Amino acid sequence: MALPLPPGLTPPEIAFLCEMELVTVIPRQRLEGLELLGGSLPPLNPPHRTAMPLWLALLLKRQRRANILPPPWLSPHSLAAILEHETDHDDTFSPPPRLPPAPSSNALPFSAPFLSHATADAAPDALPYHWLELGEMLLEAAADDFEDPDNVRKLLRGLREVRMSKLRKRVEDLQAGGGVDMKGVGGMEVSEGRAFVTGVIDNLRRIGASLEQQRRDRDREETADSDDDDMSM
Amino acid sequence: MSYYDVDAILTDAQKVPCTFELTVPGLGFIEGNMSGDMKQGSKVELPLWLGEMLALSQSLNTSSLVTLDTPAALAPRVLNALKADSRTVDLRALAPHFYNLGARILELFDEEEMIEVLSDTFKARAAVIADQAHNPRGALGEGADFMRGLDENERKLFRDAHDSAKAVRTWMTDIKRK
Repeated sequence: MALPLPPGLTPPEIAFLCEMELVTVIPRQRLEGLELLGGSLPPLNPPHRTAMPLWLALLLKRQRRANILPPPWLSPHSLAAILEHETDHDDTFSPPPRLPPAPSSNALPFSAPFLSHATADAAPDALPYHWLELGEMLLEAAADDFEDPDNVRKLLRGLREVRMSKLRKRVEDLQAGGGVDMKGVGGMEVSEGRAFVTGVIDNLRRIGASLEQQRRDRDREETADSDDDDMSM
Repeated sequence: MSYYDVDAILTDAQKVPCTFELTVPGLGFIEGNMSGDMKQGSKVELPLWLGEMLALSQSLNTSSLVTLDTPAALAPRVLNALKADSRTVDLRALAPHFYNLGARILELFDEEEMIEVLSDTFKARAAVIADQAHNPRGALGEGADFMRGLDENERKLFRDAHDSAKAVRTWMTDIKRK
């Protein structure tokens, strides 16, 4: 192949997509409204909170022009509860945040990144799709905006370990033609697990190829037989 | 498998035991008998591609030239060992392309049990491979014996799993440097 990259998105690409998520920001300086491709940004007035894309928030944070308000699910309390749910339920991941109902019958339902899963009013009890990369980036750029950054970092690491080992354990009950239930799995975890899971399925299919061929032949014979019957009638 | 797939070519070059059903004049050199004939009923190890061709080709009289046997790497003794504990078997010593050889043999023989044993073996070993791939010290310590016994497909799986874990780890250290 011409492109020496593995299939799927690489971690920097996923982080780039994650930077489109809206986060809540408390500005420290006034800023005029901006016309961005993703929509216009209202003018920033220091004490008022504003939702803006993560990339802009990180930029303002590095220039010390704003503070970022971490989403409620990134608090030590929520993370500990989610971690407990993960360790209690061995075979499922903690559910993703609930989607809002479709605005009207003929409109498409919203999905990320048009849902604000990372603003200050997000659901506190569920991990959104970009939980890992968002958490890491916020902890890196805006650790001083967290109440207890070390604890949050420790909980995030624990969550990641528990969930990755679950994803690996799924493989043992994989079938050649079967699938894996990926509900609640985040973007970065998909990227990390993709090569392994697809590799296992490819090899299982190769081993079971003759069985599959037999089944296909049998199906073809059956349809051919029924065709013959039709002809004689 | 594509025409230029090196692994497929190497799989085809593995030896399988064949029994000649006919006496072939002047073919004794395969057995080491330089000037003699290949006697009927003599057993020889032929590469898979040659054995397969001779076994499947129908000559004018109805019997085929050779009959194939399952290779030593897939003998019942090995399958029993895999059923007992697949993690301790050194697949690389049996055949460097163990699963590919198994898949090729399964195309020729109809053995449902072998499919089951091979699939279960692969799944059980894949779980260990995943653990080793995410823990870089394991390959040097107690897991070294297991890692040495991986066949080519398993090595590729290990490398893929290891690379994706490493990519995420690299990204995490990269954002700290910004």
